[in-house]
Amino acid sequence: MKIALGTLWLCLSMGALAEKMNWERAQFHYRMFCQGCHSPDGGGATSVPPLKDNIGYFLEIPAGREYLVRVPGSATSALNDGNLAEVLNWIISEFSGDSAGENYERYTASEISRVRVHPLDEVEHYRTKLLAQIAAAKARN
Amino acid sequence: MKIFDRLFEQQARQLAQRSSRRGLLKGLGGLLVGGAAVPLLPVSRVHAAEKPMDKGDPSSCDYWRYCAMDGFLCDCCGGSANTCPPGTEMSPITWIGTCRNPADGRSYIISYNDCCGKSSCGACLCQRDEGDRPPYRPDKTNDINWCLGTESAAYHCSTAIVVGVAFEET
Repeated sequence: MKIALGTLWLCLSMGALAEKMNWERAQFHYRMFCQGCHSPDGGGATSVPPLKDNIGYFLEIPAGREYLVRVPGSATSALNDGNLAEVLNWIISEFSGDSAGENYERYTASEISRVRVHPLDEVEHYRTKLLAQIAAAKARN
Repeated sequence: MKIFDRLFEQQARQLAQRSSRRGLLKGLGGLLVGGAAVPLLPVSRVHAAEKPMDKGDPSSCDYWRYCAMDGFLCDCCGGSANTCPPGTEMSPITWIGTCRNPADGRSYIISYNDCCGKSSCGACLCQRDEGDRPPYRPDKTNDINWCLGTESAAYHCSTAIVVGVAFEET
C-alpha cells in the first residue's frame, strides 16, 4: 500500500513538474533575454563567459547554484520567478554537456524567489573565487 | 532475330490487351498527387515553420523587421538586412526584440546585430524605436553602441536578423 501511494505521489509530482515546464517558452525567453550576449549556442563571446559545457559545474556547490540566480542577467531580469527557473533549467538541459551530473536538481520558482533578492554587485572576482571552490570540491569527490 | 521480334510482339500485344491507356494515366496521376501530399523524406520542418513570409523593401525604414531600429540600414551600405558590408565585422553581442510581420500576422524575434569596424555608413538612417527601453534596461535599449566583442568599436550600420517565431501564450 505504501509503495502504491509513494508511486502515485511520485507520478503526481512529476506530472506537476512537467506541467510547469514549457520548453518552447523557455527557448523563447533564452532568445529574448540571454542570447544577445551569450550567443545562440551558449558559446559566449569576448568577455562573456560560455554557458556551453560549463554551466553545470556551478551546480556542484550551493554557492555556485545560487550564483546562477544572483548574476545580474538573472536576478534583475524582467522574467518572473517561474519563467526564470524554467529558462535556467532549459539552459542547463541544452548547454551543460557533461558539466552537469545526470541527476541535477531543477530550479523551482520558490528557490528563485528566495535567492534573486540578493543580486551580485560584482561578478568577475566572485566567479573566480567560486570556480576555485568548485575545483576543490570536485577534487575531494 | 525473328524469334526475338515475335517474342516482343507477343508480349506487347498481351500487355495492350490486359491494360488500358486510361488505366496508365490514372495510375500515374494517383502517384503524382499522392506523392505531393505525403512527405517523401523524414526532414525536420521546424526551421521552415520559423521562416517568415518576407514581403517589403529591406532598404526602406518601413520594412517590418526594422520596428525597433535605430541606425543606418546595412541594406543601403553594401550589405543586407542579414549581412554586414564587406570590410566590417558583425558584433556577436546584440540586442533582441520582436516585430510583427504583416504578411502573416505573427511576431518574430529579431536580432539587431551591428556591423563594426568602419565609420558610420551615413545612408538610410532609420529610427523607429518600437519596444526600445531606457538604458537602465541595457539588454533592451538601442541607445548604446552594440559594437561589443568586435575588434573595433566603430559603428557602421545595423542588420535585422530573424531568429525565430515569438512564443505566444495560448
